[in-house]
Amino acid sequence: MNTIALEASSLSRRYGGTWALQECSLSLPTARVVALVGPNGAGKTTLLHLATGLLQPTSGSIHVLGEVPGADPEILGRIGFVAQEMPLYRNFTVAEMLRFGEEMNRTWDRDLAVGRLEKLSIPSSQKVGTLSGGQRAQVSLAIALAKRPELLLLDEPLASLDPLARRDFLAALMESVAEHGVSVVLSSHLVADLERVCDHLVVLRNGHVAVDGDIVGLTRKHRLVSGPRHTGALAGVGEVIDRVDTDRQTVALVRTDGPIMDPTWDVRDVDLEEIVLGYLGGREGSSVAADPLLRTVPPAPSEVRS
Amino acid sequence: MIWVTWRQHRAQAFATLIGLCAIGAFLLITGPRIASAFRELQACPVFPGQDCSSLHEAFDRRFNSLQFVVPLFMVVPLLMGVFLGAPLIAREVEQGTHRLAWTQSVTRGRWAVAKISLVCAFTLLATGLFAWMVSRWSFPLVAASGTRFGFGVFDLRGIVPIAYALFAVALGTATGTLIRKTLPAMAITLGAFVAVRVVVELFLRPRYLATKTISYPFLQESPRSGFGDWVISSRVFDPTGRFSSPDGGITVNPSSLAQACPHISSDPLGPGKDQVGRCLTQLGVKLVDTYQPGSRYWLFQGIESAIFVALAAGLIGLTFWLIRRRIS
Repeated sequence: MNTIALEASSLSRRYGGTWALQECSLSLPTARVVALVGPNGAGKTTLLHLATGLLQPTSGSIHVLGEVPGADPEILGRIGFVAQEMPLYRNFTVAEMLRFGEEMNRTWDRDLAVGRLEKLSIPSSQKVGTLSGGQRAQVSLAIALAKRPELLLLDEPLASLDPLARRDFLAALMESVAEHGVSVVLSSHLVADLERVCDHLVVLRNGHVAVDGDIVGLTRKHRLVSGPRHTGALAGVGEVIDRVDTDRQTVALVRTDGPIMDPTWDVRDVDLEEIVLGYLGGREGSSVAADPLLRTVPPAPSEVRS
Repeated sequence: MIWVTWRQHRAQAFATLIGLCAIGAFLLITGPRIASAFRELQACPVFPGQDCSSLHEAFDRRFNSLQFVVPLFMVVPLLMGVFLGAPLIAREVEQGTHRLAWTQSVTRGRWAVAKISLVCAFTLLATGLFAWMVSRWSFPLVAASGTRFGFGVFDLRGIVPIAYALFAVALGTATGTLIRKTLPAMAITLGAFVAVRVVVELFLRPRYLATKTISYPFLQESPRSGFGDWVISSRVFDPTGRFSSPDGGITVNPSSLAQACPHISSDPLGPGKDQVGRCLTQLGVKLVDTYQPGSRYWLFQGIESAIFVALAAGLIGLTFWLIRRRIS
C-alpha cells in the first residue's frame, strides 16, 4: 500500500505564454482529506487535471498512487474524479447515469451508488438536468465513489452549492471516507467549510505552492502577533508570513517553532482561515483595503502576554 | 461503451431511421409506376410502326417532375455530417462531460475509438441502405436517359453516397473537436462539405482518367451513342473557318454554303438536311466529342469513393490526435 497519494516534483504547466503551475513540489499522504486552497486562477484545477491525466505536464513530474497518471487505464480506475461544475449528461436519467458509470468502469459497486442515492431520496427515473445543484453533486459523488477509488479528487465541489447542500455533501463525503478509507483531495476557494473536514492543507498562489502541511501542525506553528506600530524588520517572532502596518499598530502572521517571548507582542493562536489568508495575502500585499487578513484581526492589543 | 454511445446518440439514430423510412415509402409509391412505364419503353422496338421517340418524350415528360428529389437526396450525407458528426465530440467538450468520461476506467483513446467507429458503422449502414434504395428506384430513369454520369445521377447512386456520408461525418467530428462548439462546427461542416463536393465534382471528376475523343460527320449520330458515355465537351472542327461560331457551335447561312458547295443552291426551297451534311463532310467539317467511356462508370465510382474515404480517414486521424494531445 502506498503512503503517498500524490507527489509532484518541479511540476509545471503552461498554457500558451502563461504558467498555470510553476515548479510545484508537494507530497500528499494517503488516508487524509487534503484541502487544496487558492483564489481562482491559482492553478488548483490545473493541478487536479494533471493528477487525473487529463493534462500532461509541460515539465516536472507527477505521480499519483505511485504511478504516472494518464499512462494506462489501470491508474484511471484507482482515481475518482469530480470535475468542476460536476458535468453529467443532462438528458440521462439518474439510473442511466449510474449505468454509464457501470459501463465505463471495471469495478463498480452498484449497491453503494444505488443505496446512496436512495438514502438521499433522489428518484432514479428523474432526468439529471432537472435535479437541483445539491442532488447533482450527490449523483457525481456517487458515481465517483462507486468505482471504489483509492483516491478521490474533487474540483470545487462546493462552489455551486447552497450552505445546506454544502453541509450534506461534506457529510456524505466524510461518511464514505470513514467507511472506505478513501484518500481525498478537495479543492476550494471557501476555507470556512473545510476546517471541519480536512486534515491537510495545500495553498496555491499564482501557480506556486505557498503551504503544504498537516493542519494540526500548521496551526501549532503559526501565530498572529500584534503590537504597536513597528518600522523595519520584526525581530524575535520567527518567519513573517504576512504583515500589516497601520498608523497605530503592526499585525503579522508568523511561523515559529517555539514560544514568542518578546513582551511587546500580543500573541494569539490562529485558525485555518487565518493561515490561508495570511499566505494568500503574502508579504508584499499589505495595503489595508486589499488585505483580507485585517478583517480577522482583533482590535488594538489591550494586554501583553508571553 | 456501446450502450453509452447508443444512449447518447439514439435520438439522432431514430431521426435517421425515420428519414430513411420516409424516403423508402416515397420510393415504393413512385417506383412501380416508373418501372412499368420503362418496360413499355423497352418493349417499343418490338412492334413495328409504333412511334418510339414520342413514347420516349412522353416518358421524359411524365417523370421529369421527379427532378425535385435530386437536391433533397443530395443533402442526405451532409445532414449526417452536420447532425451526427459535428456534435459528436463538440457537445461533450462544450458541456464538460468529456472530463467525466475520460476519468472513468476507459482511456480517452479507447473512448474515441468506440464512439467514432460506432457512428461511422451506423453511417455506413444507413447511407448504404439509402444508396441501394435510390439506385434501384432510379434505374429505369437513368437507363432511359442514357448516361449514369450526370450531375445528381452519379452522385446519388452506386457507392459514392456512402463515401460522401463518411466524409461528412468525419468532417463534422474533426471540426467539432477542433473548435469545440457545436453550432459553429455544424455551420463550418456545411460550408466545407459543399466546397469539397463542388471542387471534386467540377474540377477533379472529369480528370480521373484521360478523356477519349471521337470525331464524326456533322448532322449524324455519334458512333458512341448507346454506350452511356459521359460527353464532357462536343465541339465543331471546321478547317474552312467559315461555319464555326464564336460560342463553339455552327452557323450555316445560305450564302456561305452556296459559296462552298455551288451545286446545292439549285433547290428553290433551300438545301435539304442530307445535302448540307454531305457538303460539310466534303469540306472536312466534323464534330469532335471529348468523353469518358460509359464502361468506366464503376471505376469512377471507386476513384471518387476512395478520395472521400481517404479524406475521411485523414480527418478521423486528426480527431484522434486532437483528443489525445489538445483537449483536457
